[in-house]
Amino acid sequence: MVSERVPRPRLEQFRLANGLRVVLAPQPESPTASVWVWYRVGSKNEHPGITGASHWVEHMLFQGSPRYGKGEIDRAIVGVGGQLNAFTDTDFTAYFSTVPREHLGIPLDIESDRMTRALITDVEVQRERTVIHSEREGNENWPEFRTEEELYQLAFRVHPYRWEVLGRRVDIERLTGAELREYYRRFYGTRNAVLVVAGGFDAREVAREVRRRFSALPDSGGEVAVAEVEPPSVGERRSELSGPGTTPYLEIGWRSPALRDPETPATMVLDTILGGESRLFSAGSGWGRAGEHPSARLYRSLVDPGLAVRATSEWRPREYPGLFTIQAQAAKGVSADRLESAIDGVIARLCRSGPTRTELDDLRAKVRRGAALAYEGASRIGFRLGYFSVLGGPEYEDELYRSLLRVTAGEVRERARDMFRRDARAVVQYHPTGGEADA
Amino acid sequence: MRKTEDPLQLEYGENIGALRVVRQAAPAGAASFSATYVGPAGWGFDPPGEEGAARLVNQLVATATRRRDRVALARRLDRAGATLARQTSPEAGELTLWGPAGDWVELLELLSEVVLEPRFDPEDLARTRRQMLERQLRQQSQPASRAEFELTRAVFPPGHPYRESGLGDRRSIARLTRSRLERFHREHYTGGGASVIVTTSAPLSAVRRAVASHFGSLGPRSAPSLRLPPLLAVRPRRVTVDLPGRSQVEVRVGGPSIPQSSPDYPGAYLANEVLGGRPLLARLFQRVREQNGLAYHASSHLDSMRLGGIWSARAGTGADRWRKVVPMLEEEVARIRRSRVGAEELRSVRESSIGEIPLSLESTADAHELAVDAAYHELPPDYWSAWPARLRDVTAADVRRAAVRAFDAARSVTVVVGPIGARPGR
Repeated sequence: MVSERVPRPRLEQFRLANGLRVVLAPQPESPTASVWVWYRVGSKNEHPGITGASHWVEHMLFQGSPRYGKGEIDRAIVGVGGQLNAFTDTDFTAYFSTVPREHLGIPLDIESDRMTRALITDVEVQRERTVIHSEREGNENWPEFRTEEELYQLAFRVHPYRWEVLGRRVDIERLTGAELREYYRRFYGTRNAVLVVAGGFDAREVAREVRRRFSALPDSGGEVAVAEVEPPSVGERRSELSGPGTTPYLEIGWRSPALRDPETPATMVLDTILGGESRLFSAGSGWGRAGEHPSARLYRSLVDPGLAVRATSEWRPREYPGLFTIQAQAAKGVSADRLESAIDGVIARLCRSGPTRTELDDLRAKVRRGAALAYEGASRIGFRLGYFSVLGGPEYEDELYRSLLRVTAGEVRERARDMFRRDARAVVQYHPTGGEADA
Repeated sequence: MRKTEDPLQLEYGENIGALRVVRQAAPAGAASFSATYVGPAGWGFDPPGEEGAARLVNQLVATATRRRDRVALARRLDRAGATLARQTSPEAGELTLWGPAGDWVELLELLSEVVLEPRFDPEDLARTRRQMLERQLRQQSQPASRAEFELTRAVFPPGHPYRESGLGDRRSIARLTRSRLERFHREHYTGGGASVIVTTSAPLSAVRRAVASHFGSLGPRSAPSLRLPPLLAVRPRRVTVDLPGRSQVEVRVGGPSIPQSSPDYPGAYLANEVLGGRPLLARLFQRVREQNGLAYHASSHLDSMRLGGIWSARAGTGADRWRKVVPMLEEEVARIRRSRVGAEELRSVRESSIGEIPLSLESTADAHELAVDAAYHELPPDYWSAWPARLRDVTAADVRRAAVRAFDAARSVTVVVGPIGARPGR
């Protein structure tokens, strides 16, 4: 009998007087230690004119703070064999460093320094502008990126989820250093952060070290909740794009629940049945599981009969209601309309009959096995604990896991009927120019 | 209490027929295990006119077995909490199964079923062909993959195994019938020249027993051999491909390199790390991105295989900036070949390389990559344990000498792919 709790490492959690939440996951045998700081700040906190600010601030936090000049953070971590990086999402921004365990003090010092005191100089902002343009340009080379950006713009009219995390080109062109500093001062701070330390260390020693380095930081971090509420979608919204590519590409999005909504477990089941991916509880050595899922419905209905070369679904855990999407790349000679019609058929069958008993049995086995292997290695532990901490607390993982295992076929069918409404969806078709391959 | 083992120390068991058996200790506390079959099944072995065979076979092998169709195999993996990954390179074909540590024997049996008993179902073949054809189009259409394609085409002569990408073309894929793929499988998924590598807490004796039981029928057939034809002078030295409508230009400066067994390899490894392999410390990243803000990515790569290698310096930049980036890449490549690296720069990169070894042991999957690498290259069991000492022995003069050999200037090419016809300015 598999435990009804995710087998997580033992945790020590506390909150400092300045509001900083701390999660420690000691793994005595680990040769490494991983330090993560998760801020509840993301593109949801931007507005038109400063879209991309969260991502840009993420870049600037590597460009200098009082104790670490430009480039010194990189040298301090990489110089001891460590790895570091950061990423920005709609709902959060996360920074991490994994180092050989004896060097744990270095990332702790860096994070305490840049949590409230990053410099963000005008000179560095200006230099970074082309780097950020370049990052966006690299993404724009992919039809999938262009299509998804269009889909979210189409599906949302009020909520900040309507722009891409990288920001709009026009905003990247004009954002100023002063605006980025203001954004950083407003949102970055102890109240909006979760510090996660995982790996080979003594919990008491590290707790003492964390208090020493972080307690003196000012109580900071403004309100990050988003006031805008997206009104219900009325009528199907459609758009067509054209550009370089191989074969037609299609993405359809339906409004989906926020992570903490009661409909989430049934939505996750739909994602697994359609796309094959039990997101958040996937088997695999990393986060999620790339690759094909020949047992999933979209694969069997689109890829097997030769309509598509790839087809999958995606539900992303979000703080506010987001999108449940289906993406498919047509096989040569197949039109986007034909692909869309086939997807409609898959959805209609699911709404009519719900999941089969075998599908639910397989899903439960997959989720249990995936959860059993989810916490291996300090970096993955830090990621997973931070992720759940920032979106609901480590304990929420167990709640979600239990709910997911208990979802019934009837609940999934009802969820499908409620969510997959044709009059509440957005559709983007991408047509390759110059024939099916312009190259 | 059992003594903690060093996952860097590999154990080579007695061969089973011609098949090598390698065991690596799983990191302490690991809940998973990994097993890989790697054999002489890369696209360098594609018969003339049948380009794409190695990749197609590798994909089909991982799709279905005689006992399980594609859905049954996927369900078996899902229910076990396991994943099956596949990979091909010019020289090798590889299949890796990762799953719960406690089920390693059953899952090793499943891996053997995949390797030994592929189904080659006509429907699977038709679908995989369609996917390959789309990948061919994507390779030509995407600046990054097109740049890689153009680089190896420019550098390696026809018939050289590193010249191709393994995707074949429309005609060669059409020629790949089931019987031709089955023949490729028979000849290349053999015991000869192949290894099974298992990362587990189980002892070598148990690993060998399980491998003998499940892979024993691979037999002692000798490994096919791959030959590298002589390299020729490269003309032209710059290749440009205009792909209008894209946003980013991809730049590559690269050429042939040395094999991992070369005595120059540790020096070449550090030369590459200084040039661009360790981006946050490396010259290319610092100059192109940090000092001049010209690109999001700027790095270098050294892919040393059994027989030879490929190196490249890379950057992705805007249509209005690539003309500045190209000479920077070319200058930095020339500099690493021309001048000794400074003592502090060498120390920093070397210590970083040594210091990162514990990070390679965070999880079974991470550690397993080291074991597969060592086993494939037939390196000694203490290769990774001895790696820090080998790096510490490398001098600045060694790095320069190795750079001259590994980054062969006489045969290097600059490739620029993307919207290069676009007018500058945004």
